[in-house]
Amino acid sequence: MTLWSGTLMVMVYRQLKRFIRARSRVVGSIVNPLIWLGLFGIGWSSFFRGRLLPGLPNGASYLGFLAPGVVIMSTFIGGFIAGITVIWDKEFGFLKELLVAPASRAAGIVGRAIGDALSATLQGAIVLVGAIFLVSGLNPLGAPLALLAAFLTSLVFTGLGILVALKISSMEGFHLLVSLIMMPVMFLSDIFYPLGPLPSWMKAIAMMNPLTYAVDLARAGLAGAGEISPEISLVALIMISIVLLAADAKVFEKTTIS
Amino acid sequence: MDEEEVGEDFNNPRLRELGVDRATMPTAVEARELSRRFGDLTAVDHVSFEVGEGEIFGFLGPNGAGKTTTINMLITLLKPNDGTARVAGYDVVREPDQVRKRIGVVFQDPSSDRELTGYENLWIHGMIYGVPRSELAARIRKLLEFVELWDWRNVLMKRYSGGMIRRLEIARGLLHDPSILFMDEPTIGLDPQTRTKLWEYTIDVRRERGTTIFLTTHYMEEAERLCDRVAIIDHGRILALDKPSNLVKSMGGDVIYVKLLNGSSELLVSKLMERGVLLDHRPAGSTLMLRVFDAPTVMPIIFDIANFLGIKISEVSYRRPTLEDVFLYYTGRSLRDSEADWRETARVRARRGMRR
Repeated sequence: MTLWSGTLMVMVYRQLKRFIRARSRVVGSIVNPLIWLGLFGIGWSSFFRGRLLPGLPNGASYLGFLAPGVVIMSTFIGGFIAGITVIWDKEFGFLKELLVAPASRAAGIVGRAIGDALSATLQGAIVLVGAIFLVSGLNPLGAPLALLAAFLTSLVFTGLGILVALKISSMEGFHLLVSLIMMPVMFLSDIFYPLGPLPSWMKAIAMMNPLTYAVDLARAGLAGAGEISPEISLVALIMISIVLLAADAKVFEKTTIS
Repeated sequence: MDEEEVGEDFNNPRLRELGVDRATMPTAVEARELSRRFGDLTAVDHVSFEVGEGEIFGFLGPNGAGKTTTINMLITLLKPNDGTARVAGYDVVREPDQVRKRIGVVFQDPSSDRELTGYENLWIHGMIYGVPRSELAARIRKLLEFVELWDWRNVLMKRYSGGMIRRLEIARGLLHDPSILFMDEPTIGLDPQTRTKLWEYTIDVRRERGTTIFLTTHYMEEAERLCDRVAIIDHGRILALDKPSNLVKSMGGDVIYVKLLNGSSELLVSKLMERGVLLDHRPAGSTLMLRVFDAPTVMPIIFDIANFLGIKISEVSYRRPTLEDVFLYYTGRSLRDSEADWRETARVRARRGMRR
C-alpha cells in the first residue's frame, strides 16, 4: 500500500470510527429527520389528504413525496456539519498533525471527506429504513438508488463544508454560516415541495442547487416520481463532488497556520 | 579534551571565525536571518542559529517572544518572510516534504484526536508517515511502554490527563524515527512531578536514539536542566546564545538588586561607575540590577553613596547569578512575573477542562 492510499484509508477509518463512537450525535441525527417525517410530514399530509396536489402524480400522498427528501436532508445536514468541523480540527489539533506529515495533504483531506460522507450515508440509511417502514407506498427496490443519491449528497456537501471551513479562520463564523447556508439550501430545493408550481425565480435557483438533483434521484427510486432525468442528476452530482473535492485538496495543499 | 569541551569549542563563535568550523559535527538545523511578520508586528526578526546533530537546543523566552513562530517556520507550517532555514539538510520552503519526513513535532497544544484511543492515534500517525505495516505494531508497543502508557492504550484520549497527552504525543512524534524532534513548550501547565518525568524521557530519547531535540520553554529550570545550549529570545530576536553554564559564567561576580524609594537611579549608577565598582547595570522593572565582582564589598559602598546623595533604598538583595539573572539582564524582565502568566493559567484551565 502506498503512502497515498494508506493516508486516504486511515482518514476514512478515523472519520467512521469517530462517527460510530459519538452515539449521541448518531441518535440525534436520526431522531431529527424522523421528527420531520413523523410530525411535519403527517401534519401536512392530513391537510392535503384527498386534494389534488399540483406537481405530484394523481393520488400521491404528501408523506410519500416528503420521505425521500427527508432521507437526503439528513445526509445533507450530516455531511455539511462534518465537513465544517474541519475548522475545529484546523485550529485546535488533529489537522496540524496532518499538515506537518509527509503524507499527501490531498489524500488526507479527500479521505476525510469520504469518511464523513460514508458516515452521513450510514445515517441516511437508517432514516431510509425507518421511512420505508413508516410510510406506505415507498418502493424498497428503489433503496439502492436512494442510497447512492445520499452518498453523493453527503460527498458534495462535506466537500463544500470543508472548503468553507478551510476558508474561514474563526469558530465565530461557524454558527452564522450553518444557519445562513443550511436553511436556504434546504428551502431552495425540492425537499418539501415539487419544483413545478414554484415561481420561476425560485425554480431557477433550485435548479442550481445540487440538493435538488439528489432529492429528485432518491424520489425517482423510492416514489417513482422524479422531475429530472436520473442520468442528468447522477452526472451533475458526480461532477460537482469531483470539483469540490479537487478544490478542497487544492486549498488544503496551501494551508498554513498563523 | 572531554566531550563537554568539544561542544564548547564548536559553539564558540570566535573559534568559528578562526576557521575552526563544525565540520565534524553535522548541522541538524540551520537558520539564516529568518524573519516573519504578521501585519505590523515582527514576530521573528532576522534570527540566525545552528543546532548540531544530537544536541538538545532550547529557545528560552516569555510568551510572545517569537518561539512558536520560529518553530512553525522550521516545521514547514509557516513560510518565512525573509531568510532561510535548513532542517536535516533540506530547505524548509523548497523541500518541505523532505523536511517533514525527518522531523517529529510535539505541539504546544494537544493535537491528538480525543475521540480515539492512544493506540489508534499512534496507528493513524504511523499510516500517514508511511511506517511499514509489518513494523508498526511493534514500534507502537515499544514507544507506549517507553512513555508508560501501554496500559492506557485502549482508553479514549479524552480521559487522559494533560501529562498523559504530552507523553503520548512524544511517543507519536518519535514513531516514524525522526532525526529531529521539535517540542514547543513541552511541559507548560504540567505539575512538577510530571515535568521532571518528561525531562527524563527527553534525555533518554537523545541517549537511546541520538535524536536532535529542539525545544522552546519559558521555564528557567527546564532550559538549565535539559539544554546543551540555550538561545535567549525576546521580541523576535536572539539576545544571547551559549551553554547555560557559560551564560551564567558570562555574568561574572555577583548580582545586586536595589529598589529605590526616592531619588535618581541614574545618579546612583554614575557615582558607582566613578568608583569603578560596577561591571554593568540594567533596569529591571522597578528595580535596578547591578553586576559587580564581589557583592559583600560593594554593598556598603552603595549605601554610602546613596546616603551621600540623599537616596533612600527600600530593598536590596544579592546573589550568585543564575540563568534567571542572565535572562533578566538581557530582556529587562523576569520570567517569573512575566505578563503572560494569565495566559498560562488559562491554558492550564483549558487542559483541565479537556480531561474533565
